[in-house]
Amino acid sequence: MRKILSYVKTYQKAAWIAIFLMAVELAVELVQPILMAIIIDKGVVPGELSTVMTWGGVLVGLSLLAFAGGIISSYFASEVSQGVGHDLREDLFVKIQELSLVQFQKFSTSSLLTRLTIDVTQIQGFLFMSLRIMLRAPLFIIGGIIMAFTVHTGLALILLLSVPILLAVMLWIMTKGVKLFSSVQEKLDSVNTVIRENLMGIRLIKVFSRHKHENKRFTNVNDTLADINKRALWTMELAMPIVMFGMNASLVAILWFGSIEMNTGGAQAGEIVAIINYGTRILGSFSVFSFLLMNFSRGKASATRITGVLDENIEEQNIHHNGEKKHIKGEITFQNVSFRYPSSPNPALKNISFSVKAGETVGILGETGSGKTSIMQLLPRLVDPTSGEIKIDQLNISRYEVEALRTQIGFVPQEAHLFSGSVKDNISWGKEDASMEEISRAAKDAGIHDFIMTLPEQYETKLGQRGVNFSGGQKQRLSMARAFVRKPSILLLDDSTSALDAKTEVKVLETLRNQACTTLIIAQKISSVKEADKILLLQHGKLIASGTHESLLNESDYYRNIYKSQRQEEVISYVPATE
Amino acid sequence: MSRQQNKEANTNPNSQQLPGRHRGAPVKAPKVKNITGTLYRIWGYMSNQKGLFILVLLMVLISSSLSLLGPYLLGVTVDKLIANYETSSLITMLSILLVIYLFQSLSVWFQNYWMITIAQNTVYRMRNHLFSHLQQLSMAFFQKRQSGDLMSRLTNDMENLSRTLNSSVIQFSTSALTITGTIIIMLWLSPLLTFLTLLIVPVMFGGLKWITKRTGYYFKEQQRNLGDINGYMEESLTGHNIIKMFSREKKVIEEFRVRNAALKDSGYWAQTYSGFIPKLMNMLNNVSFALIVGVGGILALNGMISIGVIVIFTTYSRQFTRPLNDLANQFNIILSAVAGAERVFNIIDKEEEKSDEADATDISSIQGDIKFEAVSFGYEEGQDILKNVSFHAGPGETVALVGPTGAGKTTIISLLTRFYDADEGEILVDGQNIQNITRESLRKQMGVVLQDSILFETTVRENIRYGRLNASDEEVEQAAKRANAHSFISKLPKGYDTVLDSDGKSISHGQRQLLSIARAMLANPSVLILDEATSSIDTITEMKINDALDTLMEGRTSFVIAHRLNTIKNADQILVLKNGEIIEKGNHQQLLDQKGFYHDLVKAQENKDVI
Repeated sequence: MRKILSYVKTYQKAAWIAIFLMAVELAVELVQPILMAIIIDKGVVPGELSTVMTWGGVLVGLSLLAFAGGIISSYFASEVSQGVGHDLREDLFVKIQELSLVQFQKFSTSSLLTRLTIDVTQIQGFLFMSLRIMLRAPLFIIGGIIMAFTVHTGLALILLLSVPILLAVMLWIMTKGVKLFSSVQEKLDSVNTVIRENLMGIRLIKVFSRHKHENKRFTNVNDTLADINKRALWTMELAMPIVMFGMNASLVAILWFGSIEMNTGGAQAGEIVAIINYGTRILGSFSVFSFLLMNFSRGKASATRITGVLDENIEEQNIHHNGEKKHIKGEITFQNVSFRYPSSPNPALKNISFSVKAGETVGILGETGSGKTSIMQLLPRLVDPTSGEIKIDQLNISRYEVEALRTQIGFVPQEAHLFSGSVKDNISWGKEDASMEEISRAAKDAGIHDFIMTLPEQYETKLGQRGVNFSGGQKQRLSMARAFVRKPSILLLDDSTSALDAKTEVKVLETLRNQACTTLIIAQKISSVKEADKILLLQHGKLIASGTHESLLNESDYYRNIYKSQRQEEVISYVPATE
Repeated sequence: MSRQQNKEANTNPNSQQLPGRHRGAPVKAPKVKNITGTLYRIWGYMSNQKGLFILVLLMVLISSSLSLLGPYLLGVTVDKLIANYETSSLITMLSILLVIYLFQSLSVWFQNYWMITIAQNTVYRMRNHLFSHLQQLSMAFFQKRQSGDLMSRLTNDMENLSRTLNSSVIQFSTSALTITGTIIIMLWLSPLLTFLTLLIVPVMFGGLKWITKRTGYYFKEQQRNLGDINGYMEESLTGHNIIKMFSREKKVIEEFRVRNAALKDSGYWAQTYSGFIPKLMNMLNNVSFALIVGVGGILALNGMISIGVIVIFTTYSRQFTRPLNDLANQFNIILSAVAGAERVFNIIDKEEEKSDEADATDISSIQGDIKFEAVSFGYEEGQDILKNVSFHAGPGETVALVGPTGAGKTTIISLLTRFYDADEGEILVDGQNIQNITRESLRKQMGVVLQDSILFETTVRENIRYGRLNASDEEVEQAAKRANAHSFISKLPKGYDTVLDSDGKSISHGQRQLLSIARAMLANPSVLILDEATSSIDTITEMKINDALDTLMEGRTSFVIAHRLNTIKNADQILVLKNGEIIEKGNHQQLLDQKGFYHDLVKAQENKDVI
């Protein structure tokens, strides 16, 4: 929370003005009952019309003043809350962009999104409220009591006694309620989980005729939800009636003691009326207070989630800001490279050594979790090796400037990830200043140019969010064009050809061979990498064999087995007429 | 229902509430087609609690009257104080006041207590009804809907209704009663002061109108900008590693800034204007307070009213403006809940799966002899997906369905499991028309392994047991062993008791597939339906899957939507489908000899191999 509050500093001035204006409003409201007492005691009781008129006028004037203050404070309070929200969102976003791959994986994408949206909004609302009413409720309660004292000490004592007790009771009930509500949330989640599972698995449920079972399961969770929900709500609803009665009882006490005081001449009617007025207003503040407490606890939870991200230390190790920027040819050497993700106890790569000459094509094979993807992440320094050395053109990659290194590497991920914008935008995403010629060249190389030309607006065609109006194969080819347009010295393909149909894959593989760059291809099928200059076979993070297809067939039993089984696993692929 | 859609629906932050909305800010009224009809239906779920409901209304009546009576008696007491009444009558007054306050608090609590009970029971019944109805809906319904939309109706709309029922009914009626009561008492006490108090009403509505005209525009702007920035953030978060690989961070941040600034701008105005509302209400309260005290003072001077009346009026004028504002807000909240309920009822109104024919019989065990005779079918009239399809699969045979997407492979299977009924032609199981068999008993004979394995958020053991609910632990493990799943399950942290998450992050895609094979294994169906995976699963796991599938298919009539050349080659019968028709039929060799579509497909495959 403190970290979040430090964001308010930027808007200090506006915040102070808002608080000052709130104080003005508050002052007016606190003075009102006193003025009323004056009107009654000095005007009505003795029969002075002019006093009534003057003070009545003052009352109206003050109300208008408070209104003006309130309106102006709205501007300043929004400036602060929107400003802080804006800054928080930006810092969070920038921070997320800076997070290293390993750190990023600690959070799920949806949780990061929630933090960026709902949590920031929550804070924003909380701040706006704080600047406008949050301080008001407690200040009003305190101020009301103080003012009551200035009116009549004895009677005010009653308020001084009862208010803290009632506050404590309310707080106690609310903390209980809030706790219950968090379990309501849990139960609600499990109800939603059953619903989601049923929506996704409806086919399965129908075929297995499991609707009775599912109904029973749902009724169970629904039961618990209704139950705990009732309990939580009942508890929360207890607070206001109790506080109300306590406060009203105090008013009765004030009247009683007031009448005694009046009999002895210790109090005047107006004074009693004023104190009762303070009492009813304090009562009004209680409900606001409970409302604010709820908001505060929510805001606090959001603040914790936000600072959780902001406090991540950026750990991009030993970045050379004036590192090497030279053009690389694409020679790659791995020397005894080991790598372990901090989150996992087992190393992902163990003592890997191999070398690739510039312009060669290397296939990487292995089962899930064998370390293929780690190799691809090490090269552009998304992660750094735990031990060992990786060299490009004989120079350790940590000596290169990270950005210079990455701009010379092209990457095609397993799942094509496109961005909203035009086809052209998406390809030139790989190289900002790419000319139209370069873009269409890249598209041709990726075998997507002809398709693009059939689109209504060709290269200017807009993609829906995440490319929803393109087929999987088309998206994959766009993602390749995006990598090709950079004319990279090193090209990394993370199992990106498996979504393509047979004919296109053949074409793309051919194109890859004609590119003058060093190419690393992760593949599932041996057929995709048969022609490579070298094939690396990984198992459990170790390099168990390497060589050409022919030499591996001769030397490695494991390779031979895979090859045999895959010969049987040939997948029929249809070449849809649209592609 | 793709996983994708579902994920988007869950993470879509656009569905969040308007930001910065707080008390007093207007809630936009949604469109409801049939308010009374929908309300009546909600009442249908409540009607078994009529007694409680009447009690609630009674309590509301009591609490509202007492809250009106309280200030009045307070004023009277003040008058008596001033007039210096004797102590004994003061004590009576004060005791009455105390009792009234006590009953007021009690009635408030009871009205809430009972209303919460009613609301939660109602929502509980609706949820249960909705859910069990969902189970009965036809497959066609699910195919037409986005699961994200359904999910939102089942969760958000229900939750919204639940909240509204909890508080709004009471608040609405309390506000209405309080306003009426207040006006009546005030009129009775002093028409002139009442008139003064009512003066603020038109001012209030005028002011509110001025404000909402502005906030409406800016809230819309803000919502649009929010949607825009959320889309952008989602895109760049999911593409995090690509952005890094391509060193695009700066550019991405730059674009983000533009959107963020636009959001701030519209947010600023929306919040500022909506912040006027409570201030306006406050000011009107204060002004009317001042007017009442001032004018009331003059009236009291002339002896037209007592000081007590002034005290009463100052309290009533506060009791008057707040419910007026509440009423307007509550009305919109209730409308939005009713609109949600209407969406929910929309689902309930959808036709259930046709019930079984009256003369349908149960079947207990079948041989697995399946026959399609001139079957035609279309999801929509005039658009036949299957045209005149006929084939025969003997018991234990494997039938491979081959053909491009949209050829009708899945439809054949949907007809076989009676998700749909054929428009023309007959489907016979062991010589019996499936329309004469109850759906449940028919489906009990069938097992499915779908490409996208569905797992539930429970233990591995329960996930397998789903195939046959009364299977013993031993049988579950037996099935897992036969499905080649045992070895990986034993390596899980808690073995068979490991709890899976439904996103399936804890195990790999291939392992999910093994579990769903084990499930089918346990179900031990006579007819097996398989949708072969096309997605790349690592080689070792794939070998295990194929091995397990071969075991599973042994001795069962199997329909395989086949992708692997090997499955197809070994099938007893291959049905090549194109545009809803069987264009070729036979075994591998026969089809190759025909030199038709299938031949071309296989050749293309081999060509690719040669390269």
